Amino acid sequence: MSTPGVKLTMDGAELEVAPGTTLLEAARAAGLWIPTLCFDDRLAPFGACRICLVGVEGAKGPVASCTTEARAGMVVETQHALSRRIARNVVELVLSELPVPPAPHTELAQVAQRLGLDPTAGPAAARWAGVTHEPQLDHRHPYLALQHELCISCGRCVRACDEVQGAFALTAVGRGFHANIAAGLGAGFAESSCVSCGACADTCPTDAISERLLFDLAAAPDHRGAAR
Amino acid sequence: MSRNLIELLTRFDAGAGAPTALDVLKQAVDDHGEVTDDDRRRAAELSGLPEATVHGVSTYYDDLTQPRGARHVRVCTGTACWAASGSDAHVAAAVAALGVGLGCRSDDGALSLGETVCLGFCHTAPAFRDGETVDAGPGALDRIVAGHALPAVEPEWESTLAEPVLIRPGDFSGLRQALAGLTPEQLLAEVQGATLRGRGGAGFPAGQKWSFVARNPAPPAEKFIVVNGDEGDPGSYIDKYLMEQNPALLLEGMALAGFAVGAARGFIYCRSEYPRSKPALEAAIARAVSAGELGENILGSGFSFHVEVREGAGSYVVGEETALLASLQGLRGVVSARPPFPAERGYHGKPTVVNNVETLCNVPFIARHGAAAYCELSPGATPGSKLICLNERFVRPGVYEVRFGTPLREICERLGGGLKDGAPIKALQIGGPLGGILPGSLLDTAFDFAALAAEGCMLGHGGIVAFDDATDMRALARHLLRFGAHESCGKCFPCRVGLTRALELVEADAPVDRGRLEELLETLEVASLCAHGGGMPAPIRSLIRHWPAELGVA
Repeated sequence: MSTPGVKLTMDGAELEVAPGTTLLEAARAAGLWIPTLCFDDRLAPFGACRICLVGVEGAKGPVASCTTEARAGMVVETQHALSRRIARNVVELVLSELPVPPAPHTELAQVAQRLGLDPTAGPAAARWAGVTHEPQLDHRHPYLALQHELCISCGRCVRACDEVQGAFALTAVGRGFHANIAAGLGAGFAESSCVSCGACADTCPTDAISERLLFDLAAAPDHRGAAR
Repeated sequence: MSRNLIELLTRFDAGAGAPTALDVLKQAVDDHGEVTDDDRRRAAELSGLPEATVHGVSTYYDDLTQPRGARHVRVCTGTACWAASGSDAHVAAAVAALGVGLGCRSDDGALSLGETVCLGFCHTAPAFRDGETVDAGPGALDRIVAGHALPAVEPEWESTLAEPVLIRPGDFSGLRQALAGLTPEQLLAEVQGATLRGRGGAGFPAGQKWSFVARNPAPPAEKFIVVNGDEGDPGSYIDKYLMEQNPALLLEGMALAGFAVGAARGFIYCRSEYPRSKPALEAAIARAVSAGELGENILGSGFSFHVEVREGAGSYVVGEETALLASLQGLRGVVSARPPFPAERGYHGKPTVVNNVETLCNVPFIARHGAAAYCELSPGATPGSKLICLNERFVRPGVYEVRFGTPLREICERLGGGLKDGAPIKALQIGGPLGGILPGSLLDTAFDFAALAAEGCMLGHGGIVAFDDATDMRALARHLLRFGAHESCGKCFPCRVGLTRALELVEADAPVDRGRLEELLETLEVASLCAHGGGMPAPIRSLIRHWPAELGVA
């Protein structure tokens, strides 16, 4: 006996999903695109990036689709104008905090582009430009490079290390604008419980954590030295 | 909140009473002035958390990150202390007089100066803290510089009700009555019937929160009552008054909550900024336990309820309930997306009621007199009564218990006696830093949820900070956004970056582009994960609306 599904309307189409399905999962299953940065379907929803906003009829305002479960009778609009405008603003804020534009192949650059922003424009081009993160390269591990200034605190690496690998080698550090990530007690991957699985680099949407082989091919020579 | 970390903690703590990582780190700072890697390793070992997780905790809280000398002096940068001079003059004076920069330690390690928000001595601002002594008001800095800090006077308190609900020493009579004459279901029905709204700011019906936990079949040992005593709003000292001057009333309310929902254990999370709260609460717990009013088999009823006090370490956002639960368990005090709600997965992943201090202090009255009597207290307005507090600018600052719906004019003029030296009230900030700012011309507004919302303000937690006519509103915007950016937990993107950008806009020595500022505020309001990022725009919106020229928007 199967559990009865939840019927809802998304972008005008009737959908039926399993109870507990989030609006983001429902949209993806229906082939609809919703922007995300902190989401990775291997990890529990986190609700940090706030760009997966959608419109729900009767709701006070846009809701985060990654942490909102589908309920019977919901009428959802994934292309909701206010949600998209706000999502674009949030990504513009994120681009403004990086000292350099994200590499074109990164998820951040691609999401920005798809939202109509120019990811190559640099932080000063943002409508809300200001202080950016100080470049800090941690190059001490043989396989993993960590460029702290590219970290957008999405928590994907920390959660991958926790939920996928169970190594608990990573943590969020600091708070507010100065939030970042660290391995172990802050002395880098090599001095932590890291097992070099690469799950963090794999999920990182900005290449703040990257595999050394790829990093060494791409890195500019003036980027070396600093450690955290 | 990571389920794996909570699972690790829960297993490790089972029956053993393990300290939290945060407690171990706080102890290290008290002991030798800073957190070292050895302390982090030790905290990991004692709490059962991974080392990296503990490292993250040690970088989150103000108390753990500010350098400390042998003597640590703190200056309050809350809004009441700011309003006392309309500037941070007291901060500059402390830096000059002590010869140590803010957030710095002297070269010989003898003295350090830190910033703290807020010490809750808003009735006699500006406030300073030297070690465990809070000194405030005229002459406080001179005394501290001379090394003779005096404990500041506590505020006056007064009720305007014939039979006070909150300003009445707790005597456990409501608990006695409930245990003798009511079933848990009947007590829950009374609290629901009283439509007791949360007093921490959001106004969510407490009875509804309780009902979610009550209907959970978990045994009493696996349900929790958590008291949110993290009264972080600069300008508020309501919960401070309750926790320090009337702790028995809170304990009685907690036990009643435990009885109604079937929970056997409770925690009070109080603030390190209020050094007197934890000792006052622990003394009251000891008194209640020895009187049989708390602990095993309370008053021979068969109902048992145990209370423990834990103290924070300096973070405003920890006042949000999911962040509070994280901090209570020794983790970084960051917000988690809901669902799951604490009623479903709270402390140790178990069903948990999280209520504000003042909310629970209403329950003894409801248990004694019933829902109907409670609803009659504020005719035509929100049921019950409310504590408010007034800042140092008023002639008679203090804690007052008022009926909902009382006009602000009555609060400010009759109770508060107007401002010192007859100064006109330029504006009021009501309900904390996330509350809108009401011009002095709108004092006829009623003090209640809906009436304040109509003016872009909120009742919030009930702190009222008056600004006199010398106040520069652009400087006020800078003061508020500086607090907002500093306190952002850093989890959600709009708040993490947006509040810093908003601060940069008002800090710049240039007119603020109104459209750009408003779109940023809208982004914060719509997209932020919690009320911090979502609420910080409210006072800025008020300033744009009522004082656009002073704010310098164009």
